[in-house]
Amino acid sequence: MAEIRLETLAHRYSPHGAYALKPLDMTWRSGGTYALLGPSGCGKSTMLNIISGLIHPSEGRVLFDGRDVAAFDTGRRKIAQVFQVPVIYRSMTVGQNLGFPLVCQGAPAAHRRKRVETIADRLGLGAVLNRPANALTADQKQLVSLGRGLVREDVAAILLDEPLTVIDPQQKFDLRRILKEINVEFGVTMVLVTHDQTEAMTFAEEVIVMNMGEVVQAGTPRELFEHPATRHVGSFIGAPAMNFLAAVAQDGQAMVPGTGLALPLPADVGSGSGPGPGEALTLGFRPEHLQLAGKDAALSGTVTRIWFEGLDEIIALSHPAGEIRLRAPAGTGLSPGDHAGIVPEPGRLRLYVADRLAG
Amino acid sequence: MKTFYLALKYLAVTLWSAFVIFPFLWMLSTSFKSQNAVTGGATWIPWAQFEPSLAGWKSLFGGVGGINIVKPYINSVIVTGTASVIALVLGTLAAYGLSRFTFRAGPIRNADITFFFISQRIMPPIVLAIPFFLMLRWLGLLDSLPGLILVYVAALMPIAVWVMVDFFNTIPRALDEMAWLDGCTPVTTFLRVILPNVAPGLVVAGMFCLIFGWNDFFFAFTLTFTQTQLLPVSIVALNSSVTPWWSLSAAAIVSVAPLAVLAFVVERFLARGGLAGAVR
Repeated sequence: MAEIRLETLAHRYSPHGAYALKPLDMTWRSGGTYALLGPSGCGKSTMLNIISGLIHPSEGRVLFDGRDVAAFDTGRRKIAQVFQVPVIYRSMTVGQNLGFPLVCQGAPAAHRRKRVETIADRLGLGAVLNRPANALTADQKQLVSLGRGLVREDVAAILLDEPLTVIDPQQKFDLRRILKEINVEFGVTMVLVTHDQTEAMTFAEEVIVMNMGEVVQAGTPRELFEHPATRHVGSFIGAPAMNFLAAVAQDGQAMVPGTGLALPLPADVGSGSGPGPGEALTLGFRPEHLQLAGKDAALSGTVTRIWFEGLDEIIALSHPAGEIRLRAPAGTGLSPGDHAGIVPEPGRLRLYVADRLAG
Repeated sequence: MKTFYLALKYLAVTLWSAFVIFPFLWMLSTSFKSQNAVTGGATWIPWAQFEPSLAGWKSLFGGVGGINIVKPYINSVIVTGTASVIALVLGTLAAYGLSRFTFRAGPIRNADITFFFISQRIMPPIVLAIPFFLMLRWLGLLDSLPGLILVYVAALMPIAVWVMVDFFNTIPRALDEMAWLDGCTPVTTFLRVILPNVAPGLVVAGMFCLIFGWNDFFFAFTLTFTQTQLLPVSIVALNSSVTPWWSLSAAAIVSVAPLAVLAFVVERFLARGGLAGAVR
C-alpha cells in the first residue's frame, strides 16, 4: 500500500509530437479508491502504464510514498494490473497463476501455498485451484488477475484497466462488489480506468475526468455531479446529461431570455459592458434539480417525449431556448403534447463562461 | 445411409494408407532379395515367390560389396541432433527478440531482419558451398564433426527463427507485461511465461530442423573427404556399376526409421492434447 504522487507528469509518444497526457499533478492516498473516467484515447491508459512502469514518462515524476520510482523497473514497483481482456498464464493452473508473483520474489514454498489458499478462498477460487487457468470463465480469470495482485502483501496499488468491459452484466455487479470489499479489507490503493460513469461513480471516492489527454476535473462523485467544472463533465456525468441553455448578459446578469433563469455575472467576465468575444455564456442545471409546476410558471414548455425508468420518468420539454429534460417521480400523468411548467431548485443553477464553470 | 457413409470413409482411408505404405513395403521386400530376385520381375512374398537373402543387410555392416554405415549413422545423429538443438535455442532467442523488441539500423527494421533469416533458405545451397569450404578450411574444421555442426546450425537456424517468430507473434504482449508487473525479470518472463506457450512451435521447429538436417546431402558431401562421413553420403557410396537395390533398400529403411519414429511420437503427443489449448 502506498501513496502515489504524480508531479508535473506528462507524456508524448514522439519527442515533438502532441501530448498524449498533458502535464498534471495529483496525489492518491494510500488505500484510496480512484477512477479515471474518460472516452477512449483520452490518455487514461497511458497514465496507468506510466505508473506501472510499462511506459517511461517524457516529463515529470512518479513518487510512491515520496520516493521517485523512475529508476525502478516494472517488477520492483509492486504494482498489480488487471487488463481489459483477461490475461492469465495459460500454461499454469489457477493456483500456480496466483502464486506466480511470489515465485518471482523467491518466497518460500510453504508461505506461498498459505497465501495462495487464503486469497483463493477470499475470491471464491478455492474449488478451482488445481484446474488449468485456461478453463475458467472470463470473470473468474479477472479474479485470478486480481488475486495475483493481492497475493503480495507489499503490493503498492492495484490498477484496473477497464476490467469489467468483457464481463456479463450480472457478474459485473458481483465483481464490482468484490472489488469494493477487497479495498476495505486489504486497504490496498485501487485505481480504476473506465469510460462508464456509473462504474466510476459507484466505485471511487475520487473520480478524475479526463479528455484529450487532460484532467478536466477531479473530485468526489458528488462534486462532479453538483459542480461540473466544464460543460463536457456536465454532459458526461449523469444520465440524462445536464441541461445547457445559451444565456445573454444583461444588467450585470447572465440570463436565458423567456425563462426567468438568471445568475449574476462574475466581476472578471468581460469589460463591464458584457462578455468579450469567445466568452459564450451558458446556464446549466441538472434534470434531477427541476420540479414540475403549474402551467403559469416562469419556465414552461411542451412535452415532446417521456422515458419510463421504473421509479422515475424522464420528461423532455421543448422550449424556444432549447430542449430541457427533467427527472420526475413516475406518475406525473403527463403525455406528449401537454404543456408543463417547471421550477429549478434554488441554488442549483450553474453559469459557464466559455464552457468553464464560473465563480 | 450412415453406415454406408462410414464404410466409404474407411474404404478411402484404407486405400490411401495402402498407397502410402506401398513404397515402404516394396523397399522392405527388396532389401531381402538377391540379384536374381530383383531382375526377375515384380515379386512380393519371401519364400513363396523368391528366396530371401540377408546380403543387402550384411552389406550395411561391412559385408561383401558394402561399407559399414554404423559410424556415418552415429555421425549423422550427432551432427543433426547437436545442430538442431543449437539452432533451436539460438533461433528461439532470436525470434523472441524480433517479436518483442524494436530494432533499427538505418532503414532496417525487425521485418527486414526476419526476412534476412528466411532469405538464407531461398538462396540455393550451391552458392554457399565455396564460401563454407573456404571458411572451414581457414578454421581447420574441414572434414570434421564440429565443422559440419557449425554449417548445419547456419543452415537450420533460419527455419527455427521463421517458425518461432510467427508463434511468438500469436502470444499477446500483455502476457509479457503482466509477468513484468508480477515481478519477473525479462529472462524469467521468457523462460517461465512465454516459452511454455510456444511449446507447439518448438516441436514444429524442432521437427523441421531434424528433417532438413538429417536429409541434407549437399553440405555433407562437399565439406567432407574421408574422415567424417554422414549417412546420406555413405548410402550413395553403396552404389556401384551394378545397382545393389537390396543394399540401397536396406539403407533407405534404416535412414528413414528415426524420422518415422519421431513423427509417430510427435503425432501421439499432439493427438493426446499435450499441446492442445496451449495457444488459444
